[in-house]
Amino acid sequence: MLRTALAGLRAHRLRLLLTSLAIMLGVAFIAGTFVLNDTIQAGFAERVTADAEKVAVAVLPEGPGERIGPEVLERVRAVPGVREAVGLVRGSAPLLGQDGKAVGGMPTTAVSIVPGALDRTTIVSGTGPGSDDHAAVLDENTAEAAGFQVGDTIRVLDSRGREHVFRLVGLLDPGLDQELAYTGAVGFTTATAQRMTGAEDFAEIDVAGDDPAALKPAVAAAAGAGHEVLTGEELAADLARQAGLEMRTLTVGLLMFGLVAMLVAALVIYNTFGILVAQRTREMALLRCIGATRGQVFGSVLIESAVVAVVASVTGLAAGYGLGALTLAVLGALDAPLPTEAALALSPETIAVGLGVGLAVTVGAAVLPARTATRVAPVAALRTQVEERTFRAGVPRVVFAALFLLAGLGAGGAGALVLPPGEQSSLFVVMAGGVLTFLGVLILGPVLVRPLSAVLGWVPAKLFGVPGRLAVDNSGRNPKRAATTTVALTIGVTLMTLISVVTASTRATVTDKLDEQFPVDYALMTQGREGGIPRSVGEELKDRPEFAAVLRVRDTAATVRGVRVRVGTYEGPISPKLVSGALPELAAGQVAVAAHAARDLRVGVGDTVRVGPGSGAVPLEVVAVVDDEAPLPTLALAPGQFAELFGDVQDSRVLIDIADDVAPERARAVVEAATAAHPTVQVQSSTEVREEFDQTLDMLLMIVTGLLGLSILISLLGIANTLSLSVHERARESALLRALGLTRAQLRRMLSVEALVFGLIGAVVGVALGLVFGWAAMRAMLEGAVFTASPWQIGLFVLLSGVAGMVAAVLPGRRAARASIVGSLAG
Amino acid sequence: MDATFTKTRHPAVVAEALTKVYGEGDARVHALREVDVSFGTGAFTAIMGPSGSGKSTLMHCLAGLDTATSGTVRVGEVELTGLSDKRLTLLRRERIGFVFQAFNLLPTLSAEENILLPLRIADRRPDQVLYDRVIDTVGLRDRLGHRPAELSGGQQQRVAVARALISKPQVIFADEPTGNLDSRSGAEVLSFLRTSVRELGQTIVMVTHDPMAASYADRVVFLRDGRLVDELPAPTPQTVLDTLMKLEA
Repeated sequence: MLRTALAGLRAHRLRLLLTSLAIMLGVAFIAGTFVLNDTIQAGFAERVTADAEKVAVAVLPEGPGERIGPEVLERVRAVPGVREAVGLVRGSAPLLGQDGKAVGGMPTTAVSIVPGALDRTTIVSGTGPGSDDHAAVLDENTAEAAGFQVGDTIRVLDSRGREHVFRLVGLLDPGLDQELAYTGAVGFTTATAQRMTGAEDFAEIDVAGDDPAALKPAVAAAAGAGHEVLTGEELAADLARQAGLEMRTLTVGLLMFGLVAMLVAALVIYNTFGILVAQRTREMALLRCIGATRGQVFGSVLIESAVVAVVASVTGLAAGYGLGALTLAVLGALDAPLPTEAALALSPETIAVGLGVGLAVTVGAAVLPARTATRVAPVAALRTQVEERTFRAGVPRVVFAALFLLAGLGAGGAGALVLPPGEQSSLFVVMAGGVLTFLGVLILGPVLVRPLSAVLGWVPAKLFGVPGRLAVDNSGRNPKRAATTTVALTIGVTLMTLISVVTASTRATVTDKLDEQFPVDYALMTQGREGGIPRSVGEELKDRPEFAAVLRVRDTAATVRGVRVRVGTYEGPISPKLVSGALPELAAGQVAVAAHAARDLRVGVGDTVRVGPGSGAVPLEVVAVVDDEAPLPTLALAPGQFAELFGDVQDSRVLIDIADDVAPERARAVVEAATAAHPTVQVQSSTEVREEFDQTLDMLLMIVTGLLGLSILISLLGIANTLSLSVHERARESALLRALGLTRAQLRRMLSVEALVFGLIGAVVGVALGLVFGWAAMRAMLEGAVFTASPWQIGLFVLLSGVAGMVAAVLPGRRAARASIVGSLAG
Repeated sequence: MDATFTKTRHPAVVAEALTKVYGEGDARVHALREVDVSFGTGAFTAIMGPSGSGKSTLMHCLAGLDTATSGTVRVGEVELTGLSDKRLTLLRRERIGFVFQAFNLLPTLSAEENILLPLRIADRRPDQVLYDRVIDTVGLRDRLGHRPAELSGGQQQRVAVARALISKPQVIFADEPTGNLDSRSGAEVLSFLRTSVRELGQTIVMVTHDPMAASYADRVVFLRDGRLVDELPAPTPQTVLDTLMKLEA
């Protein structure tokens, strides 16, 4: 039986090539993701190994944000066996740019650069500060972005906002330190770093010594409770793990796309084997005639699929390895902050997963067709012509489909309309509904294909004459086959539409809500939201004639009912959107609560909460619950009462709406002038913010669409496959048409139109599902979400699906047109 | 073999020194060797011969479905030799009708759509008078909306004949049109062909191995080993059988 299966494979080499390609692409993507992850993780580990050797033991604070007191350093230094111990300083110290404003969205982080054996900084050009208290180094990216070169003079603010001048002596590479890479780093001597950050304590203590294992308990004892003590090796492993976290998240995300691709590949394989079995009915029957059991026939189909799986998976692994190498090369060329220099890692796990997934998906998808093969009656071998099986929509099919659709749409509707928006569970219910609905469509597919092809084929049929008419008829001819072919495409298009709808709606929702509540032209904020805007800035701006309205908001952290929240106040005209209650103007004894905080605190309008610092808390009545998007403090008090309770607090943001007849340039100049003396106060124009936001969303859309492209590509292979198998099946029919005067071009066009109809069906069903569940997902994710879809984007999906389908028809079309009329008629 | 087989003065199809060779070297097979033959307009001619005599190859070359190795074929005034595939296709569309042994109809189209298919491919309007006449002659008026799968073998073949007639081709080639039919349906189809020659002046060339079928023709030409070896005017089943016996011997 094995021999027959192999002979069968050899005979259908070409036909199985496209199938293998589908699996190969999926496996390549998954394997490539693993290769990339493994290599980058190995790179992280490699980078920290060198550092680990310098440090024998490191002392770290136990929790995030905590520090180590200077007395701990003294105690550690006294431990016998400690050759040297240094404390590392770390804190905010905003670097000022050439324009005198703080650089970047976050204040740069000051770090101490220690001299001697424990220095772990990588200086890439120039030198370190050494013992020069007036020297500083910057990380490469910050220096480049701000336009500083070694030898320049730089200005940095200390913790109290005073300017200090330093000579830039070198540039450093922040390495794996994600915080430094994010905020930018400015390095000083230890003394300067302490002076600049205003902190005497340390973020870490590094110890040099000979026997880390022996030192660790001794240092731990000296440091005392509340500290974490690690050996250099442990520290390195920790750093590598932390650095690799994001990569791991990314890997999981990429694997999701890989799984979608494999699902599509499974549909393609299922369809291909289904068609092959149908076409080889006589062959199967002959085998049964000469004594093969059902089991043997079943086995032969499975063996065939297993061989295809192994060949495709091995090729896929190789391609994945290449894909990983290519991605690393691209990342390296783009200067991505990732270690791209490590040797490519093809781990046994990657090989096992690649082969395992490829084999499981392929053989799994071939099981049903193999079962169909066993049902072939031996007598079928004697029939001259294989009857085309006519499809009937059986009652069980319709019932099952209806159940799935009802459950799916019900869950989608419940998640969107009934469950509270903004909760993960609501989104989860919507997603579950989407999956159920999709299964319903999958089951109902064969019933839908014919009406859909009639509707969608109407225009092509009119446009392309006889070939068009015949093509549309052909597309609905074998509904099961057509349904599986198009559903593979539907998956990709559904997800693309979903993403498109979600991004477009998010955009609309966010801008809508902002405009509705307070039309902001400019927003003043402090860098990294640290510190505050001096009150004088807002006071000065609020009376300027250039502005229609100025809203000043200030808040501070407080604990209310055991929950950490921001309590604050606001001054300025605003009528926020309310969930309940009324908000004319807050009086003493009243509080307005944001919706999410009202849920956390379990309060509603009319309830009383005690707000205030520690023992000075006073009872306040909740008069309104405010929409989460309103630009107000989480808990808003009357200005006077806030000042009584929390003292003089600087503004955390000032929102400005310019008057109608004022030119933006002039308004901007006024705002810039008012903030010029305050380097850390940043001016954001809402157009800029929106543009940035738009760009982020566009980028997201592009990346996701690109990743879904793989699934689309595989489904196109499926269309090509189905068509080429149909070409083979309809060889005599095509020959007859050619004899009757259909030209080669017309025959090719006929197949193109059939593929076009397939593409359109897949796309239209996908767009419908994507729109419905995009809407539901938006409703579930955001309260008061505005639903928008970009018609041109979605139109583009449909158009491209149709065109892609026609491209998929090129090769099958060529084969059909090349076939000899006489030869095909005889067969 | 002189070109004296013509029944009328205006032959519809003429082949001269037609040779068709398959394969290379040792595997070379001469399917046709220097065949000279012509088929008169308005005549019903049958081509007969034992299996492998080259009768199907001859028909394929005459109809522009296959290209000859050497020699010429003319359909009407058009010389087929050297025509591009596209020109050949257009020629078949305009001037030639076909009836095959099996798989004559497109399964997705109704009987009427199948009949009108050649006209639709050529983007021509059907001649309503001719259409009615053809439909009535083949007796299919009540079956026009049916798909091939819902028709009997004889009915399917009658649809095929109607399809060949509807575009008023210069010549209809029929390849074993009764091969898959029972004798009654076969006789029906043959008498339609006969009628169309007599009443519509249609030219028909039919390949067959059935002496009974051949007896419906005005003339039978005989092939053996790729050569034209004999012909029989006004054949009867008996005279055809006798000639075949003589050839086999």
